[in-house]
Amino acid sequence: MRVRSVPAAAFLAAAVLAGAVAAQTPPHNGPRPVDPGWYALTGARLVVAAANEAEGFHLVLRGGRIAAIARGAPPAGATVVDCSGLWIYPGLIDPFVPTDVPALAADATDQHWHPMIQPQRNALDGALVPAAERAALRRLGFTTVGCAPSGGILKGTSCVVQLDEPTPTEPVRVLRRAAAQVASLQTRRGGHPDSEMGAIALLRQTLADAIWYQRCQATPGVTARPSAALQALAAEPRLPLWFDVQDELQALRAVRVGREFERSVVLVGNGMEFRRLAALAAARVPIVVPLHLPDAPDVTTAAAAERVSLRQLQSWEQAPTNSRRLLDAGVEIAWTTARLRDRKDFFARVRDAMRCGVTADDALLALTTRPAGLLGIGDQAGSIERGKLANLVVATGPLFDEGTEIRDVWVGGVRHVVTPPKDRGLDGTWQWTAGWPGAAGAAALLSIAGDRIGCKVGTDALEVTAVEREPDAVAFRLAGAALGDDAAHWLRLHREGEELAGTRMAPDGSSHAVRAGRQPAAPDEPGRKRGDRAERTPPVPARGPLPTPLGGYGFVEPPARRDFVVFGATLWTGEAAGIVPRGAVLVRNGRIAFVGPIEALPTLPGGADDLVVVDGTGKHLTPGLIDCHSHTGISRGVNESGEAVTAEVRIEDVIDPDDVNWYRQLAGGVTTVNQLHGSANAIGGQSCTTKVRYGVLHPDEMRLQGAPPGIKWALGENPRRANSSGTNTRYPNTRMGVEALLRDRLAAAAAYRREHAAYETLSPAERARRLPPRRDLELEALAEVLAGSRRIHCHSYRQDEIFMLCNLALEHGIRIGTFQHVLEGYKVADAIAAAAVGASSFSDWWAYKFEVYDAIPDNGALLHAAGVCVSFNSDSNEHARRLNTEAGKAVKYGGVPPAEALCFVTRNPAIQLGIADRTGTLAVGKDADLALWSDDPLGYAARCEATWVDGRLLFSLANDRALREGIAAERQRLLQLAAAAPKGRTAREGDPKDAYWAAEDQRQDYCCRDCEGGR
Amino acid sequence: MERSTAWILAGAAAGALSGLLPAQDLLAKAPPQSQPVLLRNAVLHTIDGGVVLGGSLWFEAGEIKQVLPAGSAPSLPPGREPLVLDLGGKHVFPGLVSACTTLGLVEIGAVRPTNDLDEVGDLTPEAIAAVALNPDTTAIPVARSNGVLTAAVFPSGGLLPGRASVIRLDGWTNADLTVRAGAGPVVAWPSDAAGRRGRRPPDRGAETGEDERGERGAKKARQRIDDAFAAARAWLDARTADPEVPLDVRHEALIDALRGEVPVFLLADDLEQIESAVRWASSRQLRAVVVGGRDAAQCADLLRERRVPVILQGVHRLPRRDDSAYDEPFTLPARLAALGVSFCIATGSDFSNDRNLPYHAATAAAFGLDRNRALAAITRDAAEILGVGDRLGSLAAGKEATLFVATGHPFELTTQIELAFVQGRQVDLRNKQTELARKYRERYRQLRER
Repeated sequence: MRVRSVPAAAFLAAAVLAGAVAAQTPPHNGPRPVDPGWYALTGARLVVAAANEAEGFHLVLRGGRIAAIARGAPPAGATVVDCSGLWIYPGLIDPFVPTDVPALAADATDQHWHPMIQPQRNALDGALVPAAERAALRRLGFTTVGCAPSGGILKGTSCVVQLDEPTPTEPVRVLRRAAAQVASLQTRRGGHPDSEMGAIALLRQTLADAIWYQRCQATPGVTARPSAALQALAAEPRLPLWFDVQDELQALRAVRVGREFERSVVLVGNGMEFRRLAALAAARVPIVVPLHLPDAPDVTTAAAAERVSLRQLQSWEQAPTNSRRLLDAGVEIAWTTARLRDRKDFFARVRDAMRCGVTADDALLALTTRPAGLLGIGDQAGSIERGKLANLVVATGPLFDEGTEIRDVWVGGVRHVVTPPKDRGLDGTWQWTAGWPGAAGAAALLSIAGDRIGCKVGTDALEVTAVEREPDAVAFRLAGAALGDDAAHWLRLHREGEELAGTRMAPDGSSHAVRAGRQPAAPDEPGRKRGDRAERTPPVPARGPLPTPLGGYGFVEPPARRDFVVFGATLWTGEAAGIVPRGAVLVRNGRIAFVGPIEALPTLPGGADDLVVVDGTGKHLTPGLIDCHSHTGISRGVNESGEAVTAEVRIEDVIDPDDVNWYRQLAGGVTTVNQLHGSANAIGGQSCTTKVRYGVLHPDEMRLQGAPPGIKWALGENPRRANSSGTNTRYPNTRMGVEALLRDRLAAAAAYRREHAAYETLSPAERARRLPPRRDLELEALAEVLAGSRRIHCHSYRQDEIFMLCNLALEHGIRIGTFQHVLEGYKVADAIAAAAVGASSFSDWWAYKFEVYDAIPDNGALLHAAGVCVSFNSDSNEHARRLNTEAGKAVKYGGVPPAEALCFVTRNPAIQLGIADRTGTLAVGKDADLALWSDDPLGYAARCEATWVDGRLLFSLANDRALREGIAAERQRLLQLAAAAPKGRTAREGDPKDAYWAAEDQRQDYCCRDCEGGR
Repeated sequence: MERSTAWILAGAAAGALSGLLPAQDLLAKAPPQSQPVLLRNAVLHTIDGGVVLGGSLWFEAGEIKQVLPAGSAPSLPPGREPLVLDLGGKHVFPGLVSACTTLGLVEIGAVRPTNDLDEVGDLTPEAIAAVALNPDTTAIPVARSNGVLTAAVFPSGGLLPGRASVIRLDGWTNADLTVRAGAGPVVAWPSDAAGRRGRRPPDRGAETGEDERGERGAKKARQRIDDAFAAARAWLDARTADPEVPLDVRHEALIDALRGEVPVFLLADDLEQIESAVRWASSRQLRAVVVGGRDAAQCADLLRERRVPVILQGVHRLPRRDDSAYDEPFTLPARLAALGVSFCIATGSDFSNDRNLPYHAATAAAFGLDRNRALAAITRDAAEILGVGDRLGSLAAGKEATLFVATGHPFELTTQIELAFVQGRQVDLRNKQTELARKYRERYRQLRER
């Protein structure tokens, strides 16, 4: 490859420019060419950097660099380029131009086991910027780009190159060989990882391995298995990680990973950052912002308009404000042309951003100084300064103004003409002034339009043949009656200013001088185009604060935590007090401060003015419901099904606070859920105990801190892939294999635990000397299971498999957290009671697949009677909205007393999740997670009227009504706006090229009850 | 009273197998009604005639003869010893009607050999649910145990999956089960939104069954449906004029619908889908019933004007859009009622949970639908929309004695169903699940004794 021929030493030089390394360039074929490369650009207005303009200076370029900025006469030796009336800017820098780099050979011995981990690649090994793209970027004023390898999770290092054309001695001018390590959370269908959390886990493991690899090298007497991938990461721990992110939540996840491994992070955004502005601003990382905008939503028909969500409308309207909002929030941004469907739209998009408040100085910063800083080339590029590279943009006016043209782009002192001054050239109409062969006085006109040449005398057209057109000259043959003879005349005309001058050879062989003068051009057609453009300018969107999350039910201001008392309601305490008919609950600082009969309510201390009083007379107050099996709010993949064991995968990495199902579940009284990985694997990912704190600014705020960690396991048909189409080749294929796999992994985890425990017992000095055991995220989680600090939540159906796991657990001294689904639990309730904290079941689902053919609705009651702590769960966004009546079915089927039945969705799941000290009952000191019902909560007549999480009112019928009105009005406003949008492309739902849909997680209603559950 | 109820329950139990019931319904079916049955001292939820406190009702030969207010004496036939049941104030309801289900065509959802829903081809109106129903499916007694005594079974898949059949939930043979075999052809009206969505709609309901999605696919598919009806019409006219024209079972399957004797069941959820489906049916002079109906409230005028009723595919659904009201599906029945659209409520769910039908109606009632109207939506209104309103759906003289006795309203989870009659035959309310529960209670009893 041609790039490889560039000597390594050249890359290491801070700047590699022609002539500097002559000794290492190939010999010239013939005499050495000499280009003095010495210019003086005079008369221009210099914009040396943002907010720094100067006039009356000339710019001297020499040897590819800016040699001087001076007044007075230009140096004698320099070629003067007259730039009078023009504006000169520093060359623009696009920090992120994706480039293809060949994948490394899969069989190389030092290759990482996973093909998406190739950090040892370098963008220089690839195609870099192809010629057409180079020219296209230059036409926009770009002189320098960061080239990022594409494909994979750790993709390799990016480089910084100049956008000029290769010379025989130098194929590419490299400013920095390794500017950053490029990463993304890419997944692949049907492989590993096939979920975002799987990608994160793989990335974390690799970064952990790099640390260990470094440690290996630092430990005497230890030889690590050579790994070019880990070597690349270990060698450059300070190289920033540039994350190419798909959406704004991914951005936050990338930041989190960077923090964990102490790597500095730069985000390559997606244009939707404004939707998570506060969290991103708090992350304090620079963002490379693409300028693509969503296409207008399709509102062509009423039915189509009905399908468009408010979130899409809002995202579409607000997207142009993205940069302004980021700047206002103090985020350092650079702009990129990446993700634009067509680069040519770049300046139009810049102007869109400017329409929304970005100033010309902001824009210039984002295109020069900022990217230069991010790429580590601030000392060489980004402004017009003495000693810096002669990277310049010469424009006819302020660079971002509509109508401004770019004349020239100088890249390292080499001039690239972009738009030469308007020169009509030969085209136009010319009138003979001398040398006309025909009758004198006749008005002979010559019209030239490209290759088409016409000649007329009055209305008589002459015959024009044998046209040879050059830029400034034309030759042709002319014949016709108007010439006075029938023979052909040969003409050749050159342009001299606004005159044509040349020679005519007559048929008789005589030569004559000819001249013609330009006729004034007809005025342009009336400005139709201009009129169109004015009409096209959409109104500037308001830049007030946006709700979080966007979409209709979010909060502009997070709801305040206020002290309140609910009095008069029937209290379902879930404690020894049982059901208290006319009770009161007092909440202070987000905690329950009093529960009991109304009469026992202590006199409220003074200053109770701001105490909110909720009249609960005739209503029922219960603890907030807890869903012990939820897949709500998990971004981009509930299952990491690429491997049979994925204990390293964590739901907490991919909490999706935008999912509107959170709000809907609040409307069903749900305040806490157990977010579970799917059931495709015998050992699945780590679960997350999550409070339904809808409206939080950062997804991490939804996690219930202090809750014991959990992990999903699965038995039966799903991990066996029994109901998937096609043959299964992944182990296990039988329940026997499931058991064997679990046993094997527990053995591995036990060994891992021993190894680490042994290391921990060493003295600090010894530890420093010896190599620590490698950190394995998968075994780490399983070791926690063995240690009893991580709870297993095991998807299970048939009695044999439940029995198997009970025995395996007893054998290993583990207590199972919950058996999930556990539809045949009623057959082995005694075993469950002995081995598990509890059983979490469906109320009445059955017959959807073979292993649930013996499911019965009395399951809960039978387990309960056998002393098992029982909960009912949803496993579905829809069911989660009515967990209360699911609990009611424990009364119907099996006669569980009502107060006890409600505990199936309150106290018992809290016990199962190990959070009973925090929530699940009405008791003093617990979190104020409450739901107020219009009627007996176990009956279908009950409507949830209000839901509090940590004492914050996150749902109420009154607020909901107000929100609906707001949504209806906002929808209508935005639909009208979309209808008035200029005709053009409309967004096709799910189109990955559209800025909105690319960033939108197309949430599917996942349910591992489905047979294909967790494909 | 207690004596007589106990007697009748004991009688049923004696006729059934005790103990274990393996993987199919091993209970005996009910024998034909042999003597008049008089239910006395009951709260009669007649649907047509309101709620009668302390009323009585008697039936003979499978037919309700009289529904009487408190104090009226029944005119029982002379010489026939009636079975008299004093219900002591318990409640009597007409059997609930599950208006759109796959009950009997599927045993286990994921096990293909047990799945008889989908015939090969997009246009298979000749397929008829009643012939493939398994009378011994375990799912029938499960549904029955919560008062569901009538069901409309729909084939699915493709554009014209076949014809729905109305069945009663007790019988030895398919003939016993069948109330109306050809209740109407099912038309899965293609949605022009399917392609834009890029995936199947998350909800159940209308499926296009087409590989080609999106507007163009929908247009073509709609044309194919129309062509099928046009061809059937032409064939019918030809065969009427000339009996020698050979039989075509596909065309024949559409005759009843073409003559207006049965409706076409148009599966449609989306606004555009419903509108275009209804207008198409009008253009072909077909009687339309919309099945699904998620966006029905938005084209209420059309549905009302054309007198097109809607079978709502479940109240327990998710809202359509992210910004839709959280209770949009819960309030839909109330909104349709206010807009004067005729509708009934189905479960929209898997056959295995037809027993939850009353809870869909109960949720509709909690969210604004008149409670009596909600009950009618799973009894009379469903029967009428299915074309069997003359025989089923309410407690009225002349209708089938398909009813049940309960401790309370079926909307309440505390209610237990105590007795049920299908065509006057007293059916067994046990099922595989109740027997499994009994079996394992025995296990724990044994463990305790150990």
